[in-house]
Amino acid sequence: MAMLSSTLPARARAPAYGGAIIGLALVAMPVLLLGWLILYPILAAIVETMFPVGADGARGFSLASYRFFFSDDYSLANLRVTLWTTCVCGLLLVLVGLPIALYLRFSRGRFASYVQALAIFPMFVPSIILSYALIRTIGPNGTVDLVLNALGLPKLPTPYLTPWGPVIGLVWDNLPLTVLMLTAGLGQISNASVEAARDVGAGPLRVLVSIILPRMGNSLLVTLSFAVLGIFSAFTLPYVLGPASPEMMGPFMERTFSDNNDPLNALTQAVISFGFCLVFGLFYVRSIARNRESRR
Amino acid sequence: MARLTIRNICKSFGSGFAVNDVSLDVENGELVCLLGPSGSGKSTLLRMIGGFERPSAGEILIDGRDITHLPPERRPTGMVFQSHALWTHWTVFDNIAFGLKLRRLPRADIREKVEQALAMVGLADYGQRMTTQLSGGQQQRVALARSLVLEPKILLLDEPFASLDQHLRERLRDEVKDIQSRLGITTLFVTHGQDEALALADRIVVMRDGVMEQVAPPDVIYRAPQTEFVAGFIGSMNFLRADVEDGVARHDDLTLPLPIADGPVILGIRPEAMSLTPSERPRAGKVHRLIDFGTHKLIDIDLTDGTRIKCMAGPDARAPRGLRVELGVSAFHAFRDGRQVYQTTSDLEATERSMSHA
Ligand SMILES: Nc1ncnc2c1ncn2[C@@H]1O[C@H](COP(=O)(O)OP(=O)(O)OP(=O)(O)O)[C@@H](O)[C@H]1O
Ligand SMILES: [Mg+2]
Repeated sequence: MAMLSSTLPARARAPAYGGAIIGLALVAMPVLLLGWLILYPILAAIVETMFPVGADGARGFSLASYRFFFSDDYSLANLRVTLWTTCVCGLLLVLVGLPIALYLRFSRGRFASYVQALAIFPMFVPSIILSYALIRTIGPNGTVDLVLNALGLPKLPTPYLTPWGPVIGLVWDNLPLTVLMLTAGLGQISNASVEAARDVGAGPLRVLVSIILPRMGNSLLVTLSFAVLGIFSAFTLPYVLGPASPEMMGPFMERTFSDNNDPLNALTQAVISFGFCLVFGLFYVRSIARNRESRR
Repeated sequence: MARLTIRNICKSFGSGFAVNDVSLDVENGELVCLLGPSGSGKSTLLRMIGGFERPSAGEILIDGRDITHLPPERRPTGMVFQSHALWTHWTVFDNIAFGLKLRRLPRADIREKVEQALAMVGLADYGQRMTTQLSGGQQQRVALARSLVLEPKILLLDEPFASLDQHLRERLRDEVKDIQSRLGITTLFVTHGQDEALALADRIVVMRDGVMEQVAPPDVIYRAPQTEFVAGFIGSMNFLRADVEDGVARHDDLTLPLPIADGPVILGIRPEAMSLTPSERPRAGKVHRLIDFGTHKLIDIDLTDGTRIKCMAGPDARAPRGLRVELGVSAFHAFRDGRQVYQTTSDLEATERSMSHA
């Protein structure tokens, strides 16, 4: 007996120990990659911008580049237009995506699958192609203009090269992911619980407000954080479709870096963009954590 | 408090009919069970009454008012679903109160009614729990209370206890029956289990492939099945192929007087209508196995034509394996083309007679 009890724990511990090593090894790769490709550049950028190389060639602590960004009207206008685009796109995505997701979730039949295919399609279109397609449709002398002209209707002001240009493109581009994630969120709501609500006397709108939306909170938040992160740092669509001034942070950074040959300010802009994305990211993490907790 | 009338209801899902030309009258306060094998269209019929499926043809009336085309929220029906139908983001109280809030009742009334409903299903102290903190049986009782609190004219239950264990199911079944007869709600109850149907129903509707096979009170369904299917589906029934010649049905092991036209026939005999006597005949049936149920024993017999039949015997019966036996029959049914064509003086009349003597 004594021998048994003394050997047993050792045996029980051995696989756990080996498991820990294997587990660590499995985790090590992604953690190293994360450190090398993401954390290191971020830290390097922060250090680089806060301890810039001075005129004498020595490094010293200075927030001058940040002070410049937040006192420069042009930089602030760019930040503002980026935030505006992000907010408007996020709002439009939910407004457009939710009805589509609801339709896909609650309708059966062949037509629904066509709608689904159509809603997912933009995911497979590279944004550069999308940009030029949009120029050809809503740009000057594009399809919309031609159709209006043929019908003898007055010309509409084109959104091309205004802040609305990137908004249209970004919404189109991000719609598939939004619809997919919202449909997944709606999947948690069983048919029976919707039918039960109708049974006790709730009309369709009431069901949406009282039964569906309250249980969509988390997946709405997750969807929004994902969309917002992508939109905030978008480059191609704002670059091609957006106005030259003010411009979104993506094109602004690129131009500061290569056209103005000013890496310090480009880095500063990058760090500031990262700061904003971090806030959205924290929202996402918090909602995931809350989700886990409530499921427990 | 209502009368439900279903007239020639059909429902097809693209190919074939899930429900085919069903007509049924359910009287005020009556409890009708829909019984049938999986896929026979029970749920579809119930869902059409609740408004969740659109009939392909026919009409549904409640108290003479046509509700065929009303959406579920405007029908005076209450449905209890098989599972997963509680709203998990609310407490038990809010779940039950939702329908009342939609009807814009004063707060005090809502509170009183919800508490009454909770007490009725035996969950008086559970109002503030979240629905996820309840057991399966408690959840189904909340679902029942949620429907009852609105005082529906017609209560629809779709296998509400299917996911529960035997004991709980029996207890809830009795509770439902009590509540239903106390409130006098017209009720349709879908079930797989014949014991459930026999225990609950005022009348049973046996369905098969979307068609009603028979509608009758439980005792009639059991003792006077109109079709071979009903006879086999309710309780157990031994079926034997035989040939009728000059008013006598002949089978290797049986000869029974059967006053019908000559030709092949299927004999249906309940296990409790059979008796056994030891036999010397070399081609007689052989005892295969004996199962002891405590209150009675069930003996499986292999006949020489390959059929295996069941025979009920008293708790003290003995029958060693391989024993050759002769069959005795006290009552039987005869079926041709699936329909009953003859039945020995029904046990039903016999029981009725003995009841009136008592
Ligand atoms: N939404 C649907 N689409 C297509 N066919 C359906 C649909 N709902 C039911 N059916 C078909 O209709 C028939 C009857 O189904 P129903 O659900 O009414 O059976 P049921 O008697 O309730 O069976 P169970 O006892 O298994 O619940 C089945 O053959 C089923 O495949
Ligand atoms: Mg069913």
